Amino acid sequence: MSDVKLAFVVQKPQYKGETSRLAITHAISYQTVEILLEDGETVTPKLCFIGEGVLGLQKGQNAMDLYGITSTESHMKNTLLVDLDVLVCKEDLAKYGIPEDAMPTAEDMGADKSIQVVPFAEIQKAVEEAKHVFFF
Amino acid sequence: MKLGVFVSDFKLTTDTLDRLKADKLGIILVQNGVYHATTKENGKASSLLDKTPNLYALSEDIQIRGMKDGDVDKRVKVVNYGDVVDLIFNEYEKIAWL
Amino acid sequence: MGNLTIGCYPGLVGSMSYDFAMKLAEAAVDKGHKVSIWFSGNATGSVKANQKHLKDYSTGEKHLKDLLAKGVEICTCEACTVARGIKKDEGIPGVQWNAMHWFLAKVHAADRALLIGGE
Repeated sequence: MSDVKLAFVVQKPQYKGETSRLAITHAISYQTVEILLEDGETVTPKLCFIGEGVLGLQKGQNAMDLYGITSTESHMKNTLLVDLDVLVCKEDLAKYGIPEDAMPTAEDMGADKSIQVVPFAEIQKAVEEAKHVFFF
Repeated sequence: MKLGVFVSDFKLTTDTLDRLKADKLGIILVQNGVYHATTKENGKASSLLDKTPNLYALSEDIQIRGMKDGDVDKRVKVVNYGDVVDLIFNEYEKIAWL
Repeated sequence: MGNLTIGCYPGLVGSMSYDFAMKLAEAAVDKGHKVSIWFSGNATGSVKANQKHLKDYSTGEKHLKDLLAKGVEICTCEACTVARGIKKDEGIPGVQWNAMHWFLAKVHAADRALLIGGE
């Protein structure tokens, strides 16, 4: 019986590179990892966005129509649907002039969780509590 | 938290490094990160070297760029891949590639 | 001995971060540690067999075969790999194909995990 806490920290903006999206999809994959683990073993990621990583999260994305790919907004909604904790740095949103209510929600899809806009200190805490930390 | 951080670029993308707090911080300079240890910009050593006393630079990545282990700042310990493995397992609880 | 999991995302050609990951894995396994490597993103292009090693370019195949022979577990993200036009029967024998949860499962067992993101 063991839970391994992980911190996925995205510090690059979405879309130009693939890595920042892969952070999201890898974190989401925690929901199926149990098929490869022993009974009682779990993995609990926290998905964190800091610095330029807060760019490209806003509502209203149109990636499917324009480029034929899933938008980061859709991926973010999926993180909420699978009950991931998603932390977005409050100071960095303010730095780039992005209002907190621009963050996607998935209430309409039945998600119980919402994106948490938190001070960087909370993200530092997530990094400290994690056994492993991954920067994207 | 004992955190070992790999720095692989010369440009000072240290925003994250500046913000993260660690009881023990190690900086392992690899790839173009080794220039932090070998190169002075306008005569001044990289400010990265002021962040912690635990500084390492990968010998292979120094030599491939035509520099010598002796070219590195005295604060930086030159290590090989085997040493990096030992740092990962023995000196730091978590490792990160920034 | 310890257990190291490496997540490798940079492409074989165009970034020497891939080479770093291979050399670190080799150094760790040579010291007796258990090593697992997960390829995602552009790194998945390196699992195609029959690579021609031109000296201006890094080679993945030789590294991967050597590491497999030393007991390193290597797995490529199936979605990332097929998206790059590589079919399973074109892959280097011994390299596993799986989904992202393979990486998380290896991380669960790892003493140390290093993720080398793409450029």
